[in-house]
Amino acid sequence: MSDGPTGPRLPDSPIVETRDLHKHFGQVRALAGVDLSVPPGITGLVGANGAGKTTLIRLLLGLTAPTSGDVAVFGTPVSRDAAGLRAKIGYMPEGSCLPRDQTAADFVAYAAELAGIPPAEARRRASETLFLVGLHEERFRYLGDFSTGMQQRVKLAQSIVHDPELVLLDEPASGLDPGGRDQMLEVINRFREFGMNVLFSSHLLDDIEQTCDWVVMLDGGRLLRSAPLDPPDDGAAVSVEVFGDPLPLVTALTARGVEVTHDGRVVTAMSSSDDVFVAVRDALAASGSSIRAMGTDLRSLEDVFMAATRESNG
Amino acid sequence: MAEVPTTGQDSAIILDRGYRSYDGPSTGRGGAMAAVVKEGYRRVLGLRRKAKRKLFPWTLIALALGSAVLLVAIEWVSSTLPVSLDTSGLFPRYAGYFDFISTVALLFAAFTGPQLLVPDRTQGVLNVYFSRPLSVRDYLVAKGATFGAVILSFWLVPQLLLHLGFAALSPAGFLSYLGGTTDILWKVPAAALVYFTMHASLAFLAASFAKRVGNAAAGFVAVLLGLNLVALLLQEASSAPGTKWTSLLALEQHPRHVRDWIFDLEASATIPAQAGFGPEASLMVVIGMAVVSVLVVGWRYRRLT
Repeated sequence: MSDGPTGPRLPDSPIVETRDLHKHFGQVRALAGVDLSVPPGITGLVGANGAGKTTLIRLLLGLTAPTSGDVAVFGTPVSRDAAGLRAKIGYMPEGSCLPRDQTAADFVAYAAELAGIPPAEARRRASETLFLVGLHEERFRYLGDFSTGMQQRVKLAQSIVHDPELVLLDEPASGLDPGGRDQMLEVINRFREFGMNVLFSSHLLDDIEQTCDWVVMLDGGRLLRSAPLDPPDDGAAVSVEVFGDPLPLVTALTARGVEVTHDGRVVTAMSSSDDVFVAVRDALAASGSSIRAMGTDLRSLEDVFMAATRESNG
Repeated sequence: MAEVPTTGQDSAIILDRGYRSYDGPSTGRGGAMAAVVKEGYRRVLGLRRKAKRKLFPWTLIALALGSAVLLVAIEWVSSTLPVSLDTSGLFPRYAGYFDFISTVALLFAAFTGPQLLVPDRTQGVLNVYFSRPLSVRDYLVAKGATFGAVILSFWLVPQLLLHLGFAALSPAGFLSYLGGTTDILWKVPAAALVYFTMHASLAFLAASFAKRVGNAAAGFVAVLLGLNLVALLLQEASSAPGTKWTSLLALEQHPRHVRDWIFDLEASATIPAQAGFGPEASLMVVIGMAVVSVLVVGWRYRRLT
């Protein structure tokens, strides 16, 4: 983490760094010793409700101070220049943030002015941004008359209207129907074209898989994993449905150091190495289990998250 | 901006602006605060809002301006009468005008303060403000400036109409009248500032806790008028030495007491004056309320964010 003055940023230097970051609200531990380095691109912030995602976002914005530890954005400690950093950041809150008595165009232009864009340019950019999120036709309607999906898109528009370098999206697809979710993720994917970095919090792992290059997993305020969202690195899973008792196969796989789950007669073996196939073959032979069906698939993000959670909880 | 010819005809093009990066100038925190002031002004006046949002503020503004026009019209009518009639004692002028529209002004302040603070908080818009380069202090200062601009305009524009109207109708001539009443140019703004300070302090206090604009406005009016009643009853119920201090509870009366001082008038029948307090005490109460309001509202918003 750089402590020096802000200089030209290298293209691959981390956009977000934290070091031994703790945040407590009274007796409640929101974050506990998070060490993080997030590269440029679109990053997913994954965790169950209460995992510390929103707290981390608020720390990045300088809206709350850490109990201890350091947090930096673009190499600049947030404590040193929170207002300066916020000029480069866009934020889409999870909850409501729209005044019901303003039109979409007025509100997004106002959000741009709050970020330092001159008024005439702010109106132009509001129009263009609402076009980007698919609300150009509705831009002169009052926000109180908008549906949930349209409101989410206005929230997204206000977060990018000032051309931020980093956009923090807190559960952007929350409350949307499947069609609305897909449209929202499509727009977020387009942020790459504009050179924006995105930190995108969600408890919907499918959304993260569709959108992100990197994933940060939090659980109970602890960092479980911060790694590329690259399926080969996540290894493979082999599912085997057996006739009879699955336990001998489970035991044989476990003895070979393979991570195993089973649901009824379906045993799933997961490993980050390609040897999982060999291990399954050997375990089947050793246990004498009869196969009814067998298939391979890549480990989903959910598998990775659940495995990381189990590992973390011992 | 991409220019895409559509039909091959030289004159027909589609201008696809799309989303663009921005590398223009930044207005910084000052620009952000100016935007808050501008937007606050629009909100309390109902500008760029639905028609029903304009009804209440513009009715009160029309009453304030209409009353000033009415007073000037009365002055004009009386000046055309064949007999000389001194209207200065009959109809309110500068100092008296503060009493004349006090109810309307009270309602306007009760409506304006909560409109500036409550919707931002209850609709979650603070999340947007504070994700921008704007601190809690910047936000509250900008909101206070908006309130000041709106309320002082409400008091001063009708007074300006009165002043210019009286000058135009003066038998001594327009310029002579203006030259002979230069003290008005500081007395009226000073008195308006005292009224604003008291009203803003209470309105912001109510607005920083209430969940609805209507509740805050009702609380503001109830506290001002209710404390008047309490102070009056306590004054009349007991003649014990310490009772006089309860007259200071009559918050609504203090600006009037100070106004009398500013205009060198005999103390009107305000509750603090009747209890024996001078205008300096009332001025201290007004300043004290402002300090309390700044501290409490500041604490409340720091807690919120």
